[in-house]
Formats: sequence, structure tokens, C-alpha cells
Amino acid sequence: MSALTVLASDEFGAPTPDELFNLPPIIPGVDWFTKPVLLAMLSAILVIGLCWGAFANPKIVPGRLQNVMEYGYMFVRDQVARPFLGKDADRWMGLLLTLFFLVFIWNIMGVIPIAQFPVASHIAFPAVLAGSIYVLKVYLGMKHQGPVGYFKNLMFPPGLPKPIYLLLSPIEFLSNLIIAPFTHAVRLFANMFAGHMLLAFFSMVGFWFLFEKLTPLGAGVGVIGVVMTIVFTAFEMFIQFLQAFLFAMLASMYIGGSLHPDH
Amino acid sequence: MSEQERRPENDGRDFADAMWSIPSYLLAGMAVYGGIGWLLDRWLGMSAFFPIGIILGLVLAGYLAYRKFSR
Repeated sequence: MSALTVLASDEFGAPTPDELFNLPPIIPGVDWFTKPVLLAMLSAILVIGLCWGAFANPKIVPGRLQNVMEYGYMFVRDQVARPFLGKDADRWMGLLLTLFFLVFIWNIMGVIPIAQFPVASHIAFPAVLAGSIYVLKVYLGMKHQGPVGYFKNLMFPPGLPKPIYLLLSPIEFLSNLIIAPFTHAVRLFANMFAGHMLLAFFSMVGFWFLFEKLTPLGAGVGVIGVVMTIVFTAFEMFIQFLQAFLFAMLASMYIGGSLHPDH
Repeated sequence: MSEQERRPENDGRDFADAMWSIPSYLLAGMAVYGGIGWLLDRWLGMSAFFPIGIILGLVLAGYLAYRKFSR
């Protein structure tokens, strides 16, 4: 992608979202099969493989893979599931662990050489996950609190003066049932999109000023570009982990809210 | 909230709940009442209700968050 831009013009041009995210099909003619689709599938297979390898035949003295995966499991259980689900945490670990690992590997694809594309930077992927969690949240809420009770608990929090409900219920409704799933998906998407743009921009600066048009004045800019690429790659890895954690944590929070109404 | 639900392990949940819910409430408050104000403005050919609605929405959302999470 970037090589095309470099050859086409004589001046430095920052990579555009169209170049970075609008990728051609891998097999000509099969329009849906693009790089993010391939990476999403590979990530799913990787998650299945890792969990299978680690937990299908667990040993009392864990091997290397089981050890690493158990750290991941304990992290998700203690930081994601238990604070929000309490005694129900273990029942939901299958979903939450898969969700965390899948999103994390989708994200980390953004800095893995050759792959170098965070899957979640196409909003369709986080939207499907967030949509599934939303359906699950509403279903669980209706199952555990009754179809009417769920919406009643959601829109009429106890302990407020009666006339105030008229004013506050629309806010609760919009916040819980419309804004929540939207921000759940957009938070992940926007972070991955922006991170990929930043990395592409700085590596483009380094490539252009050090390799394509090396001039005495430009070399300094190129060096800054390379240094910033390295710094932002490290920062991006942190964000990728953080967003995977937040995505799973919010899912856990929504599920917990549907299982036990409080407030 | 009942005594049984006020165990220490629920504190983290309440805190996170508040941190994620409050911005969402503020946004929803502005959207609902700003939206109503905007519609009123269109209907009446005025321009005052939109900002009033946004402020009202913020105040109401703040009140809702205060009543829900300040316990």
C-alpha cells in the first residue's frame, strides 16, 4: 500500500484511511475475503488452538502453554468476571475468556509483522461482538427479572420521587439500551483505527525521509519518525491489551447487571 | 440497596459501574432534552430551546447519577 503512494508522487503524503483500511480482496473475485477477514479467522483458530492445547488435558504440574494460559484465565477471572458477576463468575468464564483472548489477538495483529492489521479497526467486527453481548444482556435481563420487570428496573431506579421518573426514564432508556451497545463497539473500533493510523504515519515518515528521499535536512525528521514508530508500537501494544480488557469487562458488567438488578 | 449486597467484593463493581454509567447518562441527558428542545425550536421557529434543553438534560442526568451512585 505505502509503496504505491511513494512511487506515485514526489512529495511526502501521509497515508490516507482509504489506503490503509480499504483493502482489496485476497482472491480476485471473492469480494468478502479480505485481509481483516483472514486475520479474524486465523485469530479464532488460534484462540481455539491455544485453549485446546492448554486446557483439554490439564496437568497438575502445568506445562509451559498451560502455565501461560492459566495466567490469562486467572487474570480474566479475578479482574473481569468476579468483580461483576460474584458467585456466577465461573459459569460465564467460557464466554468472557474467549471474548478477551479473541479481542486481544485481533488487536495484537496490528503490531505482528506481516499481519500488521488490527482486525477491530473495521467496525463490523466489534459491532458483531457488541451486538451479541447486547442481545445476551437483554435476554438475560428478561429471563431473570421478567420481561416487564427488566425494563421496569432499568428505567425506574428505586428511591426517586415519583414525578421525577417522567423526566429521568428517557435518560435511563437511551443510556442503557441505545448508547451502551454503541459505545461498547465504538470504543474498541476507534482505538484500533486511530492506533493503526498513527503507526502507519510514523513508519511512513521514517521510510520516506530515510530511504526514499534521503536529504541532510530530512534525515533528522526520518530518525524522529523511526523513534516515534518504536515508541508508539510499545504504547499501541499497551492500548491493545487495555481495550481487550475493557471490552471483556464491559461485557461482564452488562451480564452482571442483567443477572442481579441493583440500585 | 440491601445489606446483603453491600459486601466489600461489590465495591469494585459499584465504582466501575458509576465510572462507566455517568458519561453515558450525561450524553443521554443531553441527547434526550437537547433533542426535545431542537424539535421545539423547529416547530416554533425559535432558537432558545435547544441550549436550554441541553443544560436541562445535563442537570437531570447529573441528578440521576447523584441519586444512583452517591450512597
